[in-house]
Amino acid sequence: MPGEIAERLMELPEASAVSLRMKTEHYFDVVRAILDVFAPKKNLDSFYITCTIPSASIINALQVLEIPVDHIWFVDCISQTMMSTSQRHPHAIYVESPTMLENLMLKVEYLIRHSQEQRNDLIILDSINSLSIHNNMKILNEFLHIFVNNLRSKNAYTIVFSMEEYETDEVRNIMNLVCDQTITVKGD
Amino acid sequence: MPAAKEIGVERDRCRTGIEGLDNLLNGGVPRGNTVLVTGSVGTGKTSLSVEFLIHGARAGENSLYISVTESSEKLLANLIHYDFFESRLLKEGRLIFIDLPLIYERLGLDKHEFDMQDTDILTKVIVDLVREMKTKRLVIDSVTSVCYRLKTQENIRQFILDLGTALSGLGCTTLLVSEISPGSDRYSLFGVEEAIADGILVMANLERRGDLLRTLQVVKMRGTTHSRAKYVLDLTPVGVLLVPLLKGGSVATG
Repeated sequence: MPGEIAERLMELPEASAVSLRMKTEHYFDVVRAILDVFAPKKNLDSFYITCTIPSASIINALQVLEIPVDHIWFVDCISQTMMSTSQRHPHAIYVESPTMLENLMLKVEYLIRHSQEQRNDLIILDSINSLSIHNNMKILNEFLHIFVNNLRSKNAYTIVFSMEEYETDEVRNIMNLVCDQTITVKGD
Repeated sequence: MPAAKEIGVERDRCRTGIEGLDNLLNGGVPRGNTVLVTGSVGTGKTSLSVEFLIHGARAGENSLYISVTESSEKLLANLIHYDFFESRLLKEGRLIFIDLPLIYERLGLDKHEFDMQDTDILTKVIVDLVREMKTKRLVIDSVTSVCYRLKTQENIRQFILDLGTALSGLGCTTLLVSEISPGSDRYSLFGVEEAIADGILVMANLERRGDLLRTLQVVKMRGTTHSRAKYVLDLTPVGVLLVPLLKGGSVATG
């Protein structure tokens, strides 16, 4: 399945913003498709914003999957809220809370500038559902609109995860508004 | 009043080098302006001001920081380690840090209250420094500490007016760091500085549902059109970064 997802992503034009809908059970297939196939093939620096599980857990999972993190950086919006940032990874920076959406944008901007490599960028937002737990829809709408357009102006790819089990009509409407297209991951 | 031929002519800009801020100012601070950078503690006034000087020095403009309260040595030790800072700027004299208390001492001005004559001497010393060093960017951090010694509103008004006029004549763009209390409804402690300055940058802490955000707003800037919206900033090793403050109907305080 990772190959199929990666193929769909490879067809995207530059600066695309994509809503990637999936069931929770397909999460690791999607992560593998993006970080192990799509990003390396396109020679992209990846910036992974996690609002669902701590970056340390994702990094551990990537190690198990044997996916190198040399070109992956994490903006971790959940570890500080969970008071679990004692062991900091050099590729992770932290936002105090998923309600600090401006700081989330600032940390991504910082990482993009700091990496300074002549590679295009890929930003993964994991996930819109988690952000919607912590923020009201008005501010979330405003945030996504500004954030995605800003990334588009930098020619970056943006992939926003949406977990089907937790989707609401409001979330679907936001995604339809800000994303260029929706890819739905279907199981075997 | 400007001469007819000058009407509508765009003023030369002093690019701060802080991309977000230059965008808000449509290209930078009009050259020669005296700008009040005002805010309470921990809002990033000093970091922003030093970054302004470093970018100037890197661009070949002599830049001078006059420290009034904290020693330059301590300030440099505590400063963010900017990716773009080069120690050669200090060695080459492009970027100079001076402690004002040392100047007070040499001039015999180490007293708590200045009269008009003392104020004139202080103004002259600063202007002479700028002239001799061919300084194009100056930061006085903080002007509030200087004003404490000037005591009267007349003295403060005269000091800022004379200083601003002389520095503008030398083509020097100046940032005057101003300290105010959190939640103050004024832009300066004595109420005079804000009226005379050409520009006002307000830096603040905004609390929203328990989160503390650093914000920046350009309230006034003579010689250019500019944004008046509030932005959220982050102090990073690549410098000050800005993004718009999200409104979203959930901002509790302004």
